[in-house]
Parts: sequence; structure tokens; C-alpha cells
Amino acid sequence: MTEFSKIPRNSGNKSGGYPVFSSGNFIINTLRMIYNFLSSVKLALGLLIVILVCCIAGVTIYRDKRAWELIFSTFWFNGILVLLVVNVAFCFFGRIWGRKVTLISFGMILFHLSFVAMLGGIIYNSLFYFHGLIRLTEGETLPNEHPQSYDVLNRGRLFDQSRLKGETTLIRMHTKYKVDGEDKMVAYEIAVGEGRARKQGIVYITQHLDYRGFRYYADREGYSLLITLHDRHRRELYGAHIPLQSFKQKDDKYLYATGTKDGPAPLAFPQDPQKPLFDLLVTYLPTPLKERAGDAVFQVWQHTMVPEEGTGPFAEGKAEIGGMVKAGNYHLSAKEVRYWVAMSVRYDPGQPIVLASLWVGLGGMIITFIGRMKRGSA
Amino acid sequence: MKTEHLLFWVAVGLYGLSACSYIFGLISKQDKLFSLGLYSALAGFIPHVLVIALRWMATGISPFITISESITFGMFSAVLIFLVFEFTNKKVRPLGVLVMPVAFVLMGWAGTLMKDAATQLAPALQSAWIWVHIIGAATGFGAVLTAAGIGLMYLLKEKNSGGIYGKLPDTQTLDNLAYRFVAGGFILYGLMIVSGAFWSNQVKGSYWAWDPVEVWSLISWLTYGIYLHLRITFGWRGKKLAWYSLIAMIAMIISYWGIPFTMETFHQGFRIEH
Repeated sequence: MTEFSKIPRNSGNKSGGYPVFSSGNFIINTLRMIYNFLSSVKLALGLLIVILVCCIAGVTIYRDKRAWELIFSTFWFNGILVLLVVNVAFCFFGRIWGRKVTLISFGMILFHLSFVAMLGGIIYNSLFYFHGLIRLTEGETLPNEHPQSYDVLNRGRLFDQSRLKGETTLIRMHTKYKVDGEDKMVAYEIAVGEGRARKQGIVYITQHLDYRGFRYYADREGYSLLITLHDRHRRELYGAHIPLQSFKQKDDKYLYATGTKDGPAPLAFPQDPQKPLFDLLVTYLPTPLKERAGDAVFQVWQHTMVPEEGTGPFAEGKAEIGGMVKAGNYHLSAKEVRYWVAMSVRYDPGQPIVLASLWVGLGGMIITFIGRMKRGSA
Repeated sequence: MKTEHLLFWVAVGLYGLSACSYIFGLISKQDKLFSLGLYSALAGFIPHVLVIALRWMATGISPFITISESITFGMFSAVLIFLVFEFTNKKVRPLGVLVMPVAFVLMGWAGTLMKDAATQLAPALQSAWIWVHIIGAATGFGAVLTAAGIGLMYLLKEKNSGGIYGKLPDTQTLDNLAYRFVAGGFILYGLMIVSGAFWSNQVKGSYWAWDPVEVWSLISWLTYGIYLHLRITFGWRGKKLAWYSLIAMIAMIISYWGIPFTMETFHQGFRIEH
């Protein structure tokens, strides 16, 4: 027997002036400490104030993308939000448990329960969601399951890839589209799915298309030119639909040209996997008189992997849609104008829980308010 | 000058008269000036309503879209709530000393920003949710502005006695009244956020994206959520909450019209770039 066995049990702090370590008490005390911390109303108020300060900073000191990077998308800020919901659950349900349910307490239960349900919905969604940005030119079809079909792709850890079935086709983009006399400006006519389950519909800014839980939303659109390459006898050798970027000018007008979102830039032509012959910058000048008509301006450079500054194009010219421009031993033509559209594809299985929770929370607020008014007037 | 502009400035003028009457009534402790303030507010409200109606009838598009229209509608709700409260509860007569100067200044500002009514509504705004959203925002603002006015009455009543202050309800009643308006405003702000989330979901497929306007609406809601928390959980009453509601009011004005309409946000309407 060791010296330890001589020490009386349950002696607490009175055993010779020294605290006695009891693993059972330690666990209980630690749990109690955690519970007290999580169910503290002061913590709730503190968290509300911290979130308020972060929000103010996120729309004043930092803005937009910077605020998103430094605050709203960060682990610590989202951790605070989660801690608030956990605190709300502990704080509120710990106090209400076992008490008589009145109109006020019922409203409060709904209000606080909605926060917990909302968090549940958000967590569930974060595991199973799918968000993609698919870009299609009129007439183009892309397979849904290929990651290459999406410009931007994000998905939850537990998202089941086999849910992405069939393909997506942009049949046509309609301009000046009207519904019950209301001008929707543009609408995309699309088809999604496979075989008999293929679904066709119209998507515009306030109307999405739902296919087996995947929702297609209008995002943005632009022009796409069919650029063809011809030999000196004007025989067609190659063609590609090239989507153009829209650049807003100082006079609020738009410039439509090849390039990136940062500005107009030439691209290698013909495109991969063909061997490029030169670098080509195309600008499209639409005419307000006729849809899908106007002029195309071509600027052609020697193909270089790294563009050299100060080197001018070796050929340039302007032609109507369907016309040709000479480029060295070749001819170039903007044969046809089509539209490209980008659609946001979303699968959010947790979203109905979150949206329903918002109404439950609002209902809770109203019931509590009515309860308090009744008690006040009584 | 168009009839619409004439009516607008008549409304602003009458609100100005009302604001001055309330302020001078408070300084000179003349009860009659409060009556003049109240009736000139009522007189100003008539052309105010007519301006909204005329713009609406001219194009058939709800006139709540631009910053000027948004302020005009927000002030319509605030003055309506104030008038209903004043004519049903005649005990807080100097209440207009805060409400009417705010209405006068904001309406004057809206007048300088006024443009011709839009001929077509941006596609993103063609949603039924916009109605719930705008009504929630405007009436919520009206409710918290009234609460701030009652908070001011509380502070005046606490420091002064007799005369016009003697006719005010006791401080506890004022405190309870302010609390009720804040609670109402909190619910209406909740309605604004919920309907905004549904509207955003209809258009973008996401209910929340930390857009600056979304964040500002959350700031409004949290500000009054903290007020209610302080009162219900921490037992705050009276003076501290009266000051809180007054300071919160300044934040609300910035939140509504100071920042969201000066930034590139969802609320400026979608631009289709092609």
C-alpha cells in the first residue's frame, strides 16, 4: 500500500490545507466551467458587440473584397458566429428548461431555436453543397460532371459527384425578353439533364431553372465571335467561337474585345491544340440597327510566348460581320456573332432549413412582442 | 416647375415650419407652438403623399428605387407613425422636436437629389419581395425614430419639471413607450432582412453574401438587438437606454442612406454588361 491510500476520500480542500486532486471532480468542475462560460449572458452580449464592431469595420475601414478577405471569410469571424449560436443555445435553453411555457417564452424559444436550426442548416450545406459557374456559347453543350466545364468550382467535402448527371446546353440567348409586359432585358433558353429527363426552360434574372436540386441562375453574358482562318484563295482552314470581354469605358459605353477581365489583350490563334500562327486581338463594334451585326476590327501580331513591348501589329483591318481582312498569307473573318452566357449552378441542400429558420425566427419575435404587449396592458 | 416638384418643396417647407415650431416651443415652453408644429406636419404630409402618388401614376413604377425616392418613402413612414401616435396618444406633445427636424433635413436632402421618375424598373427589382423589404425598412426606421424621440422626451423630463414637462407622462411610461417602439422596429428590421434574403436568393441563388448593404442591415438589427438584450437581460432602464436610442438613430441614418447608396451594391440594380 502506498502513502496515497492513507489519504481520506472526499476530503476536499480541508485535507491538511492542500487541495486534493480528484479526477471525477476535475472533470465535473471543468464541464461546469465550460457550461458556465457558454451559458453566460455577458458572453452573448460581448459577442454581439464584437460582431457589430466587425460589421462596422467591414463596411467602413475595409470594403468589399478586402472586408471579405480580412473579416467575413475568416476562420475567426465565422468561429465567433458559431460561438454566438452555441452560446445562445446554452444561455437560453439552460434558463428556459423546466419552466412554464408562456406566450413570451414560446416566442423566445422559437426565436432562439431558429438560430440553432440556421447553424445546423449552414453546417449541413457546407458539407454537401456544389457551386459552379458554367460558361456556354449559343449552341454549345458541356458535360455536367466534368470539372473543366466550370470556370469556377466549389463543393462540399461530402458532395456526391454522381449527382451531376447529363449535360447543359445553351440553346439561345434572347434579348429584349418580356414577361407580362415587364422587360427582363435578357433570357437564356437552356436544356439540362440526360435522355428523357432532359429539362428545357428559360432563365432570367428573377427566374432560375431547377433540375434535380441543381439551380441555374443568370449571371452575365457577352458576345462571342466565330473567327475563321482562310488561305490566300479564301478557303476556310479553321474556325473557333471566341468569347469577348465587355469593358466599361469612361463614357459609360462598352468595348467588346478579346482579353481578360483586366483589359483587352491578344490571344494565340488558332487556339490550342492547333499550332498558333499569330496573336490576334479582335474588337467587335455592334450596330444598334440590327441584332448580331456590325463590324470587327482585327489586329494581328507575330506569335510570341512573351509579348514584346512597343511592337506593333503586322496586320490590321476592319470588316463587316462575314467580311474578310488580310493577315499576311492568310485571311481572317468574323463569320458570325453569337452570345455567350455565364450561369451560376448551385446545389444547396441545407438552404431550405436556413430559409425556413428565418421565418421561424421572425415568427418568434412577433409572438414575443405580442406576449409582452399583452402583459404590459394587463 | 413641375407640380410634383412644387408639391415636394411645399411639403419640405411645411415640415420646416413644423420643426421650427417644435424647437421654439421647447425653448420658449409654449404649448401652442407644439400644436402649430403638429398641424403643419399634418399639412406637409398631404403634399408628401401626393408627390409619391404622382410619381407612381406617371410611370406605373413604384417610386422607392433611387436614394431620393427611398428617403421620401422612409420619411413618409416616419411622419405617418408620428402623426398616428400624436393623434392617438396626446400626452407626448413635444415628440416632434426630434422627428420633424429629421424629416425636414432628410426631405430637403432628398429634394436636392431628385430625378425624373424611372421609365422602367431594373430586372433584378421586378420581384414581389421588394415590397415586403421596403415596407419593413421604412416602417422600421419610422418606429426607431419615434423611439429616439421618446428617448429625448425621457431625458428632458428627467432634468426638468413643471410647465410643458409636467404634462409629459412619467419617466417610466416614456421608457416603456420607447421600448415598445424599439421592439416593433426590431421586428420590422427582421422582416426587412428576411425578405431581403429571399429576394437575394431569388436573383442570385444565395441568401447572404456579406454585401455592404446586407452588412448595414445587420448592423441596424444588431444595434437594436443589443438594446433589447441590455433591457431584458441586464435590466437597463431609463437614461442609459434613452441615450442609446438617440445615438443608434444617427447610426441608422448613416446605415440607410449615408453609405449603401454611395457604393456599388446590389441595391443600385443589376447592370447587364453586354
